[in-house]
Amino acid sequence: MSIVKTITPAPPMEAEFASSRYRMIMAARFTVGGFAREWGHCHLLANYLARYVSANEGDPERHATLLSTFINELLEVIFRNHAVEGQIELIFRRRGRHVILQITLPVTEQNRVFYRMAVQIVNQPDLKSWYRARLEDPADGEDTMLGLLELAAVYACSLTISEPPGQDRLSLFLELPEVDDMGEV
Amino acid sequence: MPVALNMRLTGNEEQEVTLTGTLRPFVADEMASVRSSLEQAARTTRGTLCVNLKRLKYMNNVAFLELNRFVRWVAHTRPGLRVKFVISSVIPWAVRKFQVIAELYPFVTIEVYDKAFYPIQQVIEDDDFMNVLRTQQKIIWEHEREKLAWHGLRPGLRIADICCGLGDFAILLQSDFRPEYLIGVDHSKPFLRYAWQLVSDFGLENIEYQYGDAAALLLPDNSFDFVSCRLSLQVFHEPDHIVNELYRICRPGGRIYLTNEMMSGVTGYPNEEVIRHGYIRFLELCRRVGMDLDIGLKTRTILHEVGLEDIKICLLGITNMNTAPHDFARVVESWLRTAKQMAATANAEPELYEDVSAGLTAHIEAITRDNGFAMWPIFAGSGRKPFRIS
Ligand SMILES: C[S@@+](CC[C@H](N)C(=O)[O-])C[C@H]1O[C@@H](n2cnc3c(N)ncnc32)[C@H](O)[C@@H]1O
Repeated sequence: MSIVKTITPAPPMEAEFASSRYRMIMAARFTVGGFAREWGHCHLLANYLARYVSANEGDPERHATLLSTFINELLEVIFRNHAVEGQIELIFRRRGRHVILQITLPVTEQNRVFYRMAVQIVNQPDLKSWYRARLEDPADGEDTMLGLLELAAVYACSLTISEPPGQDRLSLFLELPEVDDMGEV
Repeated sequence: MPVALNMRLTGNEEQEVTLTGTLRPFVADEMASVRSSLEQAARTTRGTLCVNLKRLKYMNNVAFLELNRFVRWVAHTRPGLRVKFVISSVIPWAVRKFQVIAELYPFVTIEVYDKAFYPIQQVIEDDDFMNVLRTQQKIIWEHEREKLAWHGLRPGLRIADICCGLGDFAILLQSDFRPEYLIGVDHSKPFLRYAWQLVSDFGLENIEYQYGDAAALLLPDNSFDFVSCRLSLQVFHEPDHIVNELYRICRPGGRIYLTNEMMSGVTGYPNEEVIRHGYIRFLELCRRVGMDLDIGLKTRTILHEVGLEDIKICLLGITNMNTAPHDFARVVESWLRTAKQMAATANAEPELYEDVSAGLTAHIEAITRDNGFAMWPIFAGSGRKPFRIS
């Protein structure tokens, strides 16, 4: 896997991100093929990116350990659900003490349905009880979804989707919870 | 998947399975060995099965769900068995994650093992005491800086300062011994915040701080040239665990450096009897809250037993003649306040604190009196980690 580009001046896809409330932290782009070649890439990339984003924190390592947990979960979902060709783009932004991760990836129709459903589930009311019920009575094939669900139900992350019309790409926005300088949620 | 798995039988009533490192499998099948160890342990335990995750730094949801399945398996196969997840406050994602499981299943509990393991932590995080720690540092540094080169410190090293407190050591080293990189680890967030603020104010980029437990560091093996642990071994019930960790993170050929107090050697004149007795009683009080403030005497043995070579020990002999008496007196005043809080914590009989108070007050008088003489001995010891274990 090669990271083609690590710093971009951020062409914000969403008008909102152009506002001064958001600060660009970093962007990275790589090919789906390179990324999906090895499962270990999720772990390595999550740790690397988390560490980069946490560089100026009071306890950068602990902060990064927490962020890596979130980023890794999303990368693992991407690893399992993407079209075979194209590029994955990651943009990290900051708003106050929140980090927002935008990930844009090539998708098939099937992937698209999966992500729409994931976002819907993650945004349902009474998320916590639903999550607990899934743990108590796990159904087959739900594991991947539960990873995202946990981010929202347990750590108060939020997940949204944006689908530019007529493209076989979509973007997911994972807003991480407020994390203090010591890496405490 | 670099996870280390360990099983320990602590009697039929309790078994412990320890998982450390990273647990981020692609599919649950990769957890087969973990799962079978857990099941095996569950089958042979009558009371509580402890799943020790103190040092599991990363875990993905696939692994978590497999642990959840294991818990459900216990509910069906081994009813009556209790499962305890032992986690650390140092791992930032752990408490919330396992809380959910503990709430779901009545036979599951979580224990945050490092929540309250340092009895006087709150006492020392007090603002006033923070000032005193700084004064103490200032006094000691004047004596310590001359000895550091002899203990092997020089500019350009990678240093780990374990139990770094307010982080002053990192700042003080900058002028004479500027490290290539220094990481300070402590288990007090207020101290670390203070330390980090200081480093940011000075604009120092070679220093980093980390919240951690000295007895279970997350730092890698063999990775530092110089590992210091100053005035801290004395606060632990089992200093051996810390020393083993210092040894582990030190690279072969690197040095471990300790400073240790010897309260039984604190003395002064006049009123030497009262002073001596006061400190003996102070030591007694400290032991009751699990601290050994006489550990200085054991410095050589400690360094030897962990397997170091080229051991060196010197005395930092602080007296009221080679240090500002006013600062020295403030330090002892702070000990007196700490002693009072310790006596309350330990529920000690009033006479104990009275003896301490009389002794330390007499010491303060000896420090500040025109012709008085007073001392505070600290041992600075170091040793080299051998290249090959003989
Ligand atoms: C007496 S202070 C010494 C601080 C500093 N080295 C100095 O010389 O000023 C002891 C320090 O050990 C820290 N400490 C206590 N238990 C700890 C643990 N389990 N892991 C890391 N640090 C710990 C305390 O927070 C405190 O900062």
